[in-house]
Amino acid sequence: MSRIAVARRELGSLSREKTIVLAILIQVIIAGFSSFLVVGLTSLYDPDAAGGDVEVAVTGEAADAMVAAAAETEGLRPRRVADPADARAAFDRGEVAAAVRAERRDGRIAVSASVPQSSLRKTLVVVQLRTALKTLERDERVARSDSLAAPPLSVPPATDASPYFGFSYTVLLPLLVFLPVFISGAVLVDSLTEEIERGTLELLRVTPLSFVGVVDGKAGLLAALAPAQVLAWVALLSVNGIAVSNVAALVVMAAALAVVAAGVAAGLALAVPVRQRAQLTYSLGALAAFAAAAGLPEHPATTVARLAIGSAARTTWLHLAGYVVAAVVVAVAVRRYAGTISPERFG
Amino acid sequence: MRPRKLLRIARWETTTGVGGLDRGAVAVVLAAVAFVGAVGVVGLVGGVAIEDGIYRVGVDENSRFHAPAAEDPSLAVVEPDPAVVADGRLETGQGYDIYVQETADGTRLYLAETGGEPTEKSRAAATAFREAVEAHNERRMRLESNETAAFPVVVTLEFVARDDADGADADGDGDGGSGGNGGGAGDGSGSGDGDDTGGPGGPSGGTGTGDGGVGVPSLGAFDLFGTAGTAGSPSDISPPFPFQSLVLAFVFVLPLNFLIQAYGSSMLAERLDRRGELLLVAPVSPAEIVFGKTLPYLAAALGITTVIVAGLRWLGGGAGPLSVLAVVPLALLFLATTFLGAMFARSYKELTFVSVTVSTLLTTYAFVPAVFAGTSPVAFVSPLTVAVRDLTGAGVTAGQLAFATGPATLVAGVCFLLGLGVYREEDLFTQRPVHLKALDALAGRIRRPRSLVLVVALMVPFVFVAELLAVVLLFALPVAVSVPAVFGAIAVIEELAKGVPVYAGFVRGRYDRTLGAAVAAGSAAGVGFFLAEKLSLAVQVVGLPEVAVADAAFQTGLGSGSLAVVALLAVAPLLLHVVTATVSAVGGSRGRRGFLAGLAAAALLHLCYNVAVVSRLV
Repeated sequence: MSRIAVARRELGSLSREKTIVLAILIQVIIAGFSSFLVVGLTSLYDPDAAGGDVEVAVTGEAADAMVAAAAETEGLRPRRVADPADARAAFDRGEVAAAVRAERRDGRIAVSASVPQSSLRKTLVVVQLRTALKTLERDERVARSDSLAAPPLSVPPATDASPYFGFSYTVLLPLLVFLPVFISGAVLVDSLTEEIERGTLELLRVTPLSFVGVVDGKAGLLAALAPAQVLAWVALLSVNGIAVSNVAALVVMAAALAVVAAGVAAGLALAVPVRQRAQLTYSLGALAAFAAAAGLPEHPATTVARLAIGSAARTTWLHLAGYVVAAVVVAVAVRRYAGTISPERFG
Repeated sequence: MRPRKLLRIARWETTTGVGGLDRGAVAVVLAAVAFVGAVGVVGLVGGVAIEDGIYRVGVDENSRFHAPAAEDPSLAVVEPDPAVVADGRLETGQGYDIYVQETADGTRLYLAETGGEPTEKSRAAATAFREAVEAHNERRMRLESNETAAFPVVVTLEFVARDDADGADADGDGDGGSGGNGGGAGDGSGSGDGDDTGGPGGPSGGTGTGDGGVGVPSLGAFDLFGTAGTAGSPSDISPPFPFQSLVLAFVFVLPLNFLIQAYGSSMLAERLDRRGELLLVAPVSPAEIVFGKTLPYLAAALGITTVIVAGLRWLGGGAGPLSVLAVVPLALLFLATTFLGAMFARSYKELTFVSVTVSTLLTTYAFVPAVFAGTSPVAFVSPLTVAVRDLTGAGVTAGQLAFATGPATLVAGVCFLLGLGVYREEDLFTQRPVHLKALDALAGRIRRPRSLVLVVALMVPFVFVAELLAVVLLFALPVAVSVPAVFGAIAVIEELAKGVPVYAGFVRGRYDRTLGAAVAAGSAAGVGFFLAEKLSLAVQVVGLPEVAVADAAFQTGLGSGSLAVVALLAVAPLLLHVVTATVSAVGGSRGRRGFLAGLAAAALLHLCYNVAVVSRLV
């Protein structure tokens, strides 16, 4: 009961200081920012958004093969020009987006392409040219397949998929799972070190609360806030048409990680009861842990991505189970550690 | 401000504030930083793939398509079960996203579908599979002994400035073909600007054809420092992707995020338990205390940046002092906003949130525009762009440098000024909600309605930065959407900048809540804003008006070319600002609700003006 009282008091102070609002604001900014990047970057690649077809001037003796390959590429319009000087002039006048010269040399086709240095469509032009050139390369390889030991595999036909479909799952969702977790720990460090520095932790001694109970209440609340936020994000994403699979598993994962983060944060705050040091150690430690997780067979971010996109394999579930075990171990260890500490130590 | 006192406080801060970190803590920090750095480098080189196995492919082990799927990290190979495609379709929920079936008369690729339509995921999986097959072909071709047949096309890609004499030369004499002579060390690329900052990957990419083997992708394959052009087979072409800005933003901005945590703690610690009182009663001015305490952190930021720039130089970038100079405004901005946050916050918790909010916003400000460093003048909104261009050897003009660094520096200065206004006994040790503290800071500079001219003028750098950010965030959208959105954003931002100081004056009782005072205050605010806003003509320096959205935002009218329009647009805003500021001031004199109503009315009026007058004239 007393633990719930501590948790309620903590929640009260969080909402009074509008910190929760700020925390959500931060996540909105980050999510919006990454979504902006997707939209912005897609528009750099997308012929529709970047304003119509790309017209290129093609010259040189191998121009016919190049024109044929370019005609197969959607959104690319080749224009056959006899004289390279004319092509260059058209390029300078901005009539064509690129000037391409294809020559036969040493049994190969040597293509030199000039693309405008400063243009918003630069990326698109290069992408389109590359597609056409790959087609040309494929055609040439097939024509010369007698000279090859193993002819190339036929390439499956192109499908119209959003190039950033994976982004929501591999970047955005892991971000939205790990940020609340990280923030929970950071707030706990603040909350505990502040009580210690202000000397109010000692006051709690006169209440019928055990010290472990105080830590329980504070850490428990913050560990519970993270999965709640994750759930809210998933709901928001679903409204926006991004379907998320395995929601329950994601929430369990966020909860387990939040318990680990809160446990470590509480341990740190008690061991190093100075905010500046504890906070710095916490954030660097979190960063290091995230980096070190690359050593796992499956990075936590990958686990989140695979769960969310619905491609969870057995390793994914094993990792999830591992996080739950880690959460239990950390919780037990921190409670035991807190039990050995006398609050008078901070006086 | 006396330098000796300043330096003494700075020394205290280093020995006590930072000295709070004992040797053990420093060791922990250093170890963690080194560890993160090492892992980061490994991650960059080895490519930690978050997308590991996100698409499941059913493909038989004996299939020719097994190898491509197994080699691609984003594809997870699942043992195929022919029963799932027995009826000629692959339903979702069977454990496969795509399914490769080899039959006697060819290979069939099934996409998982629901209701007869392939799902978005299976289409993405098919695209990933297609890329995997292409990459597999590419690897196989490298093993072929007949290189002419394996790589029948050699491409030299150049980025040429239109109408550029140098570029025309390089293009005209067919030098571009020289990429084919193999082993052609750095200078063989034939690009017009002779720019060889391409890092180790540049030259190795250029050797692609002559002496066998296309350069093995290395760190330089990211094209971290340049888009100077590439040569090799078609698949060696990497589209100019703003990867460098991404890396740089994190490399330069991440350390600042840690620094401001320590700085914020130290500043807020002064306010806990009245600890700062000792310094306040000492014979030093608040400015000396604040800048003395800030100096070590600024020095640390500069030191870290210098180390990073030196490191980038060592990696092959063309970075120099200019890059360090470009990060200074950013460091100042981070410190200044954190200082203001520490002055306003009531507790560490609140400070953490204020500073995290601030640093995400500032990171956006630094990062988003820099994404467009190679493509659009919009990029110069961010100081980081200067660093990016310095690294790529593109160079910047003095005007561009001033434009990129000026607003950020001004905002930092104003933040310090506002924070100093509340660095006094009665504000430091009282607990008030953040927004009231912010009003206090503004009101600290207001004595009578006339003072509003200056206070509102001080807000203009904020407005400038906020508007630039709005332009950057919206310019990628179609003009039909972005221009109205920018109009709306600007109306709100500008009215807030004028209205909030006026309101602060009312709340703190700097002048009476009468109609006369409200009109006087509103007019003063309008005039102040108008005068300072003319600063925004600085956008001319980098040719931002060429971007339609930017012209809508800053209404220079120069796009129209008509003298009458330019003249009208120079005077009409004065009237507008005075009128709208007065509207919100009159609202503000009636209290909080009145202020909000007045502000909304003013923003609406402003929007109407923008839409009616500007869009018709410009």
